[in-house]
Formats: sequence, C-alpha cells, structure tokens
Amino acid sequence: MTKVPARPTGVVLVFWFTGSLLLAFIVVPLIGLAISQSTGHLARVAAMPDVRLAILLSLLAALLTAGCAALLGVPLAYVLARTEFRGKEIVTAIVDLPLAVPHTVAGIALLIVFGRQGMIGGPAGALFGLRFWGTLAGVVVGMLFVAAPYTVNAAQIGFEAVDPRLEKVARTLGMGPWHVLLRVTLPLAWRSIVIGLTLTYARAISEFAAVAILAYYPMTAPVKIYELFLQFGLDESSAMALLLLVVSLALFILFRHIGHRRIVLVGAGR
Amino acid sequence: MTGTALAIEAACLTLGRFSLRNVNLALDAGEIMVLLGPNGSGKSVCLEMIAGFHRPATGRIVIHGREVTDLRPEQRRVALVFQNFGLFPHLTVVGNVALGLRARCRAGHPQAGREIAGLLSQFGIRHLSDRYPQDLSPGEKQRVALARALAARPDLFLFDEPFSALDARTRDALRDELKAFLRAAGAPAIFVSHDQTDAVLLADQVAVIDRGEIQQVGTVAGVCRKPANAFVAEFTGMENILAGRLLEKCGDLWRVQVGDRVLYAPGDEIAAGSVSLCVRAEEVGLCVTDDNGSLGLHGTTNRLAGKVKDGRSLGAISRVTVDCGFTLVAYLTNRNVRELGLAPGLDVVAEIEVSSIHPLRRDAADSVALQAESRNAGVALMSHRWR
Repeated sequence: MTKVPARPTGVVLVFWFTGSLLLAFIVVPLIGLAISQSTGHLARVAAMPDVRLAILLSLLAALLTAGCAALLGVPLAYVLARTEFRGKEIVTAIVDLPLAVPHTVAGIALLIVFGRQGMIGGPAGALFGLRFWGTLAGVVVGMLFVAAPYTVNAAQIGFEAVDPRLEKVARTLGMGPWHVLLRVTLPLAWRSIVIGLTLTYARAISEFAAVAILAYYPMTAPVKIYELFLQFGLDESSAMALLLLVVSLALFILFRHIGHRRIVLVGAGR
Repeated sequence: MTGTALAIEAACLTLGRFSLRNVNLALDAGEIMVLLGPNGSGKSVCLEMIAGFHRPATGRIVIHGREVTDLRPEQRRVALVFQNFGLFPHLTVVGNVALGLRARCRAGHPQAGREIAGLLSQFGIRHLSDRYPQDLSPGEKQRVALARALAARPDLFLFDEPFSALDARTRDALRDELKAFLRAAGAPAIFVSHDQTDAVLLADQVAVIDRGEIQQVGTVAGVCRKPANAFVAEFTGMENILAGRLLEKCGDLWRVQVGDRVLYAPGDEIAAGSVSLCVRAEEVGLCVTDDNGSLGLHGTTNRLAGKVKDGRSLGAISRVTVDCGFTLVAYLTNRNVRELGLAPGLDVVAEIEVSSIHPLRRDAADSVALQAESRNAGVALMSHRWR
C-alpha cells in the first residue's frame, strides 16, 4: 500500500519544528566532535597502542555480550512471547530492571556478587578459575547487565509478531517443535532479534559506569577516554572519542543492514 | 479410501473457563463435514483437538482407523488450513511445498524434487515457484496451501475459516475450487465456519456446535428444516419460531393454538403442552384472494388470513412480514412481490404446508426470542425497505 501524501496540518508543522530541535540536539554535538579534530592529531592518537587495544577490547567484549544475550535472552523472549504463566509481569519487570537501575549502582551490586569473595565470583574462581574482577569476563558481566534487556524486548516483540497458526501448520506438516522453531519461528523473528542484538551491542560498547566499577582494567574504550580526559584534557580524549564513534557507528549500520535482509537460517529445501 | 475417516468418541476437554463436552462425531471417507457455530462456540478448539494441539481429558479420536488420541500433531497426518491459508511468508512457493514434503523424504533427494514439480503442475502453480506468498492472489495462495498439505499425504483435511478474510466473489470461486479438489482427491475434510453458505455449498454433513457442545449433526436440509433445538433453529436462520399451545390430536396431526389462530402441525413425539412451531420463511407462501371460505386446514396446507405489515428487499429476494394475529415472515422472489402487488395493509392469505412445520418442545425454545430480535436488526441494516 502506498501512502498518499496528505497536506500537512498545523499540528504536523509545529511538531516537525519541535522534533527538529531534538534531532539537531542529537546530531550537532557529534558533528561538532567530528570537525573539531585535525587529521594529524587523530592519526597520532589512533597510533597509540593502548588506545587501539581499548577500542578492540570494547568491540570484543560487546560481541561476547551480544552472544551471551542471544544465548540467554532469546529463549527467555520466546517463553515470554509464547506462554502465559503466573508472575509473568514480575518476570517482564525484572527484564527491564537494568534500564531503571543507575549504572553505578549496578556496578557496585555486580562487584559485590561477582567480586573475589562474592556469591558467584567466589565459587566461579574456586571451581573454574574464572575471575571477574579486572578481567574481560568482568567487562562482559558489566555490559551484559545493562544491555541484555534490549535483546529480550526486541526478540519478544519479534516472536509475538509470528502468527502461532503458522507454527501449528508446520506441526501438522510433520515437524516437531524444535524443527518448527528453527524453520519457521526463528527465521520469521530474525529481523527483530538482530535489531535487539544490535542495540545490545551498541549499548554494551557505550557502557562506562558498571564496567568501570567492576573491571576498570583491562580498559575498555569509554574508560580509556575518561582516563585520557582526566590526564590530558579535552584534546586527547576527544580524538579517541571520535575514533570510537566512527567504529561503533560503522558496526551499528552494518548490523542494522544485516537485520533488514531476508534471512533463512536453514536452507528451504531447494 | 473407504471406511471411517474420523471418529471422535465422547471427547471432553477443558481449557481455562471453556470446555468441550461429550463431543461425538463420525466422518466417512471422502465426506466433507462443516462444523458450524458462532464465535466462541468451540469449533476451532474442536478442530485443534482433532489436529492434536489439545488433548481430550476423556474419550478418544480415531483417524482412518488409527487411534491418535495420544499422538502429537506431527504424528497425526492431518492437514490444517487457516484463514489466509497460513503460507510461510519467509519461503517461496517451492519452499512452502517442500516443507510439506519434508515429513516424508529428505530435502534434496531427487525424488523430492520430482514430487514437488508434480504437485506444482497438478495445481497449476509451477510458474509461481519462486514467488513469495505476499505476491500471490488468494486463489494462488489456496492452491499453494493445498499442494503443501497434499505433499504431507494427510489422512484428513482440516479447514479453519480459510475464506473469512475474502470478498464474497472470491470466496465463492475458491469454495467451488476447494470442493472440486476434495471431491477429486476423495479426501475427507472438516471445515469450520460460522457462515451457513459454507455449509450449504460444501457440506455432506453439518454439525452445529454451541458452548462447547455439538447441538445437531445431519444433512444441511435436515438441520435447516428440522432443527433439534432452539439454538440450531435460530442459528440456521429460522425466521418463524411460533410459540403455541397443543390443543388436541386430530388424526395424525396436532391442532396447535398460535396467538388466536389454530395451525395443524405434525409431531408424534410431542408430549408437552407448550411448543414452538418452526417454519422456514422460504416455505411460507402468500396469495391474494377474497375466498375466505377455504381458511384453516385445506388438504395438507394451513391457510391463514393476514395483513401485510412490512417488506424489504434482501437483494435477490424480499422479506415480507405478515400479521396473522402473530407475525409471520415469508421470503418471496422480487417478481412474486411485484405480481401480487404486495404493500403494507394488503389482505393476504398465508399458506404453510403441514410438512414444513417442525415442532419443538417449548422449554428448549425459550431463549430464542431475544436472539432472533438482534438478528433481525442485523438484517435490517443490510437491506433497504421496498415500500
């Protein structure tokens, strides 16, 4: 269906004006950051090994975070979308809780539980030698806590949009529940899941507070930018900030693009 | 296929506050049954129980001689077609049909390719192989859905209001095509609908369901003319449900008082004092005559004097109400109406064959009045008055 362009009403014009203010508010600082940098300065900062390392660590940790969110969050989203149970509202609220908790609070809470003597940190260290304080695992834990809700919410919307009758038809065609999930439900919810993972990934890269408290070292990019800011001021930190912005935006756009393609997980019999 | 295609024996099922109670249905090979009921009557639940999505608490289900009560949907060999035909939107036509075949042979197997090509040719959709469902017309979608279902070699076809989102013309065309397919394949089918037209045009047997209970099973003519209870009468569009009182038996017939008139009605099995006489509006004849001497029982025809109250065209036919001391509804062709010169206030004689009267025990008919009124309101909305 094509939308016939309607004559804009006064309401739409006024709202376009106020909306433009918000758009400008988002875009102008980023452009300002971009044009404030000389290429020579940018190249010098980009050549610093610890800056490169921090950005790579951020990308890697965010990727691991998105992977964990996919493994743990997508199944939860399926359950929330497809079943009714007592206390469902509570579960939904728990999923959204990290969005409401201040991230410094989250960092401290995580530190208490995942720290050396913590409820999880202690046994994990003793049994598997897995430490969270000052490690990549710690960075991922901090990122996952704040970024997981995006995956669960988007995937839930995706699953809810899949007509359950399609799954029923697939069952009567001789497919078991796991097959139906792989051949019908996941391919149809794929786009929403990828969007959710993209948001989780982006949010994970940008996380500062929770990560800084639980795992200041190894330094992720936001933590490194903060350190550069404290040590050398705006010049050094803004150059690295621009680098991080470019890298994360490029990946964000790439993932959005993947999400918009028609993807069939398993060959469709041809 | 010969023998019994489906037997449901005393199946009971509870889903939250809804329950199916004591469902018994039997379908012979090659037969089409339309399961007719209003929204929320349990017809879809019943269909999904047959397909295996709900397990009955008691009773059993046998499909083609195989008890399936405890089998999962993927083991039951039934084909399910939903509204809009339920094609997988992420797969092409070939992908959809191939998924139906998957149950029996591995994809990529040379025989699979041959079989898919055969099915696509059989349904005349080979040229659509690489299209996605959103690019197909409703007719093409139906053919793909049937090809996909057939690929899985089902013992029974189940349809859950597949036409409900279509316009009337498309619906008629697809209904004919579907019936031709089922007849040619000799495939037994259950077709869930709330639309009587589906029953009239498709069904060998009709089962009317309400509030989780099967109310009546029979041929379309049987169910429409001899409803088992007030609900079936009302739901199948019985316009005249006349409250009456049995006076006495007179030969084979009962004299029944309706308003201040007396009608002669058949009925050996009636014992109660109060009855409802069901007369389909299309069985009521009207004539204009001065000869009042032949009123009452005339041969096998009840003749009643009355005055035309009102009439409106329903499109192909007209619905005329006549005041005979009670209100009688008659369906006449528009040509009849013109030729008789019917107009409000005109004196007429209404004729009702004794054999067109179906008496119902009154206790079963009490709830009807209100529902009939609301239905008439619906009729009024979609029609225009002719005078």
